[in-house]
Amino acid sequence: LGTSQSIQKTYDLTRYLEHQLRTLAGTYLNYLGPPFNEPDFNPPRLARAERVPSATVDLDLWRGLTDNARLAANYRAYSRLLCYLRALDGQEGTAELRHRLGHFCSSLQGLVLSIAGVMSSLGYPLPAGPAGPTTPPGTPVAPNDFLKKMDDFWLLKELQTWLWRSAKDFNRLKKKVPPAVVTLRLEARGF
Amino acid sequence: GLVQSCGHIIPESPVLALGSNFTALCILNESCLDFGNIYANQIIWKIKNRVVPKEHYHEINRTVSSVTFNDTSSLGTPLTCNILADGQIEQNIYGITVTVGLPPEKPKNLSCIVHQVLKLTYPMTCTWNPGRHTFLDTHFSLKSRWPQETFPDCIPKTGNNSCTIPDVQFFVNLEVWVEATNALGKAESDPLVFDPIEIVKPLPPHNFSVSSGILPTVLKLSWENRISSAVMKLKFNIRYRIVGNTNWMQVPPEDTASPRTSFSVQGLRPNTEYVFSIRCMKEDGVGYWSDWTEDKTGVTTED
Repeated sequence: LGTSQSIQKTYDLTRYLEHQLRTLAGTYLNYLGPPFNEPDFNPPRLARAERVPSATVDLDLWRGLTDNARLAANYRAYSRLLCYLRALDGQEGTAELRHRLGHFCSSLQGLVLSIAGVMSSLGYPLPAGPAGPTTPPGTPVAPNDFLKKMDDFWLLKELQTWLWRSAKDFNRLKKKVPPAVVTLRLEARGF
Repeated sequence: GLVQSCGHIIPESPVLALGSNFTALCILNESCLDFGNIYANQIIWKIKNRVVPKEHYHEINRTVSSVTFNDTSSLGTPLTCNILADGQIEQNIYGITVTVGLPPEKPKNLSCIVHQVLKLTYPMTCTWNPGRHTFLDTHFSLKSRWPQETFPDCIPKTGNNSCTIPDVQFFVNLEVWVEATNALGKAESDPLVFDPIEIVKPLPPHNFSVSSGILPTVLKLSWENRISSAVMKLKFNIRYRIVGNTNWMQVPPEDTASPRTSFSVQGLRPNTEYVFSIRCMKEDGVGYWSDWTEDKTGVTTED
């Protein structure tokens, strides 16, 4: 797989994840119930939620990032987000919701692999250190049910923002890395 | 009390390759020898009650006789060890079942297709040629993995040479192969490596309708696509014929080679009823055409 093809696939996968998450988040927030599924619900970000990697970044800072730093930030974020999501994965909701969550986790795992593939094809080292938290939120650490649901809410919200930001990152990278030399296929026509 | 057997055969219940050679041993129990002077040289080997020719036998020692077959094709089951002691009737000592077959061949012609079944559900079905009949219980499993993640095996229903992975992932290259296993060995197909997005057969568009417009030579088709553009962009084929006529005409493919949810067919005959149907596939032509939609009719206005 050439580098630009690898980046294109990573971009396509990011948009596909965004598409899946739109349906999944709606279903999950409905499962959490009010106030979490109300459109204008916009809670303050509690200290607990800081563990989930925040996608919000200063625009100038973001613009100034090198491709390596940008990819590394994506890699670290999704590795951690995947761990949190897997903590949700097995316990919650209906069989259909669990199936959707499982499928989404697998897709997200694919994204982590794809980012790693892009980084290695560009010659960048993978970020060292643990890919994810030791005790992801959503496990009994949350003191009560409401705060547990708040953790889930922020996880999904951050995921949506990360995917939106990553699509831009990979789209930007796509333009910087030209496709492999296009092999012209000369088609003999009756010489 | 229980009658203690006077001997046994090894190997117990062999599975043998067709055409190979095979030797079995019948071992008499010392305890039985004391009964009534029975010895290994009195052993008679039988296949399904048919006596095995003596030249196949070999007396190893007082209590052990062997029988050898150069080609297991002539073997049958059961293979029994019997004794004919002096002045007595022939007695069965022991018997084994012998299974003869072939190791699995390398499965060939592995191919896969992803059928869209719902907006967000894409099962992938792979089929393969299992190779020659093995005469043995042979188990197949469809294996798939990413570079750092192996997915659960897909076990086909008995006798099926296909398996369906319920919900496949897109945009990551997947390696797929088939493993065949029986008592005589294991064989693996060549792997396929592909992105499942490249083998999708999408659902045909739905809510397909035909409406007439102002111009008597134009009918407008409208529909809804059932696959998100985040998954794939689509191109279309549109075919139509005059009601009662069997020849389909087709809108030039280049005119419908990009994503859309409607199209105006021009150059039609005024005041005429037409039948239309459409199908779709991935815009870059990689993958499979959907089925055609149901036919829909429309009538052009009068001139």
